[in-house]
Amino acid sequence: MSLQHYLVISAMLFTLGIFAVLTRRNAISILMGIELILNSCNLNFAAFSRFVTPPENIDGQIIAIFGIVLAAAEAAVFLAIILAIYREFGSIRPNEVDTLKG
Amino acid sequence: MIVPLISLILLCPLAAFAFFGLMSLARRSVPRQDYLSTAAMLFALVCSLLLLQQVVPHPEPHTVEWISIGKISFSMGFYLDSVTAIMLIVVTLVSSLVHIFSMGYMHGDPRYPRFFAFLSLFSFSMLFLVVSDNLLGIYIGWELVGLCSYLLIGFWFEKDSAANACKKAFLTTRVGDIGMFIGMMMLFTKFSTLALYGEDGIFALAANLSTGDMVWLSIAGVLIFCGAVGKSAQVPLHTWLPDAMEGPTPVSALIHAATMVAAGVYLTARMFPILTETSSLIIAYIGGITALVAATIAIVRVDIKRVLAYSTVSQLGYMMLGIGVGSYVAGLFHLTTHAFFKALLFLGSGSVIHAFHAMHAHSHDEHDAHGHAHADSDANEHTHEDGDSELVHAHGSDIPPDQDMRNMGGLRHKMPITFATMLIATLSISGVPFLFSGFWSKDAILGGVLERAMEWSSVHHYVLFGMALFAAGITAFYMFRLIFMTFFGEPRNQEMHDMAHESPKVMTVPLIVLAVLSFPVVNVLWFNDAYVTPPKQPHIHAPAHAGVFNDTKGTFSLFGVSEAVAAEEEGAHDTHADEGHHGHSPAHTIAMVLSIIVAGLGILLSWLFYHRRTLSAESVATTFRPLYHLFWRKYYFDEFYNGVLVALTVWKARLFAQFDGTVVDGIVNGIGRVTRDILAAFTGFFDNRVVDGLVNRVAQVTWAMGGRIRRIQTGAIQTYLLIVLAGIVVLILVFRAL
Repeated sequence: MSLQHYLVISAMLFTLGIFAVLTRRNAISILMGIELILNSCNLNFAAFSRFVTPPENIDGQIIAIFGIVLAAAEAAVFLAIILAIYREFGSIRPNEVDTLKG
Repeated sequence: MIVPLISLILLCPLAAFAFFGLMSLARRSVPRQDYLSTAAMLFALVCSLLLLQQVVPHPEPHTVEWISIGKISFSMGFYLDSVTAIMLIVVTLVSSLVHIFSMGYMHGDPRYPRFFAFLSLFSFSMLFLVVSDNLLGIYIGWELVGLCSYLLIGFWFEKDSAANACKKAFLTTRVGDIGMFIGMMMLFTKFSTLALYGEDGIFALAANLSTGDMVWLSIAGVLIFCGAVGKSAQVPLHTWLPDAMEGPTPVSALIHAATMVAAGVYLTARMFPILTETSSLIIAYIGGITALVAATIAIVRVDIKRVLAYSTVSQLGYMMLGIGVGSYVAGLFHLTTHAFFKALLFLGSGSVIHAFHAMHAHSHDEHDAHGHAHADSDANEHTHEDGDSELVHAHGSDIPPDQDMRNMGGLRHKMPITFATMLIATLSISGVPFLFSGFWSKDAILGGVLERAMEWSSVHHYVLFGMALFAAGITAFYMFRLIFMTFFGEPRNQEMHDMAHESPKVMTVPLIVLAVLSFPVVNVLWFNDAYVTPPKQPHIHAPAHAGVFNDTKGTFSLFGVSEAVAAEEEGAHDTHADEGHHGHSPAHTIAMVLSIIVAGLGILLSWLFYHRRTLSAESVATTFRPLYHLFWRKYYFDEFYNGVLVALTVWKARLFAQFDGTVVDGIVNGIGRVTRDILAAFTGFFDNRVVDGLVNRVAQVTWAMGGRIRRIQTGAIQTYLLIVLAGIVVLILVFRAL
């Protein structure tokens, strides 16, 4: 498998993620979209590290692992915020939470 | 020895003043502080007597540098010549006696300690003036003397008349002082120094001036003399001195004999070496006019102290006349003799007033601690039997009854010591021949004037001689009028007469001492030609004329300088020798004969008018009514000053006030109105319309734009994300295109 395959997969994941974030009416689903985006990035890091840099350099892989950890933390914070929003508004639908409307 | 002695003389009264002044301020009473001040003065007197032997013929000043500014430096120092030494003795002696007398006279005054503090300061100021070797020091002493006279004349400041008198004295002398200051500055600009003696002193430098500078020197001399005109109460600035009688009588004695007025004569004598012919003549004329004017005013006074005040003015005129005609020694000699007999006359009059005053205090006004301060209404009701009464009555009601000679009479039995001593002083001032010092000094001046007149065949000096001679006769007349009215005849006011009594010893002893000094015992100091040499004057190129007693050298050279003090005690016999030497100069013989004649005439007339009453003063006054009015009104000097100078000043002040009120205030108010009504209105309009309009417009635009733009802010996250995504896509496209 060449680099292109990885990049295509990654692009597909990213597009799916963006689509989910923009279209879903549920905050949890948006979170899932974000996870897809993050993981598409991780895939890119790992792929570039594997195919572009010399084999002894594993910086890309390490950053990918960091990204996974980051995603986990981010998910925790996100879920906490959603919980708070639910308590406040009684809903987790983003289009109903528009108090900052100008 | 000289410097420590002079320092001691200065420090004694100064320390007394500082100590008791502070005590007085702190309202602490020191037991017997009057004894301490008097002791300080007596100690200064002893030092002065010791100094008499230290005098050398051509002394050098003892100076230290005081202030130096750039290249100019001012020094302070002492100068001790014979004149200084004699002045020191006169001042300390008279001051001591006044201190002693005051212990009795001022007894019971609520401000008794302050009085002695002021007396000490007064003495210090005068002593400082006398010993200074430079004009700056003299000026400092001069102004201090002025200040002290102000404080002491206004000592009973509750009295309006005293408060006014002290202001008058201060302001009038200040007029002269301005002239003196300008004169000093003229000398300073020329010579860059104010030191008088030494190689760089004014006198040494002035002697080398070219004849072209004589006009300039004359002006400077006359201006400095202006200060003396003020201080020594010469016409036309003499009016303060009679008013100065409002002070306590011992102060009058001190001012009139030893300190204040003597300062002017002393200054003129000090400046003698720079007096040119013109300035000398001006001084002589002012002196002569003063002598005559004051003497004629004194004839009609009824207040015992005013008579003496005008007599002082008159005698000061004599001294100035003497110095003005070049009789330096005669002028200073008269200053000395006058100091003693005038102090005696004042203290004697104080004794008389005290006798009456005590009566007032006991019978009418127990609580009033200084009965002088209030005219007693009872006493004013008593009839005026005296000759002047009908005219006097109209003007004279403001005279304190205890000083009014019309209330006195027949006091010689009640107050024998006062009478005897005052009679001696009167004989002395009237110029009764041979036995009294006043005769010798007055005759010295008269002789000096006549001698100068004959020497120069100068009409001026003949006129001056006539004035002086006439004034001498009048002096004898009014002084005996005083004696006759006070001590002879029947008591005119029985109630007051009954209460009168001889003063206590503390007051009579100074009188006796001064009476002894009115005999020619002091003459020896002046008659010794080796002791006093008059300085050279610029317009006299011949060897300096050694004063009036030129030819006494032969007679008196046996008295060495150092033996002068010893000789003073046996002074009485000098007179015989003097008689002899006077014969040498024809001018002096003529002057002496004439002066004896006019004095005798004056005394005779006085006797006829006021004792025998064969002539009636009343009818004479009526006959020469205009003249009488002129004398009574003191030549209208006060009226002139009040009517012209004061009124002019007040009028000018009113004018300026009006100018201030209308023009200056008008301009200020006008500017204010213009600013408020026009300028402020315009800027207000501009501010409201333009500035505020601009600000509001900007705000409105912003507001409107905000209203539109805020629509973008939907609050929906996903919309935002969509826009972000669109932005990224655009950016990518843009970067691809690049």
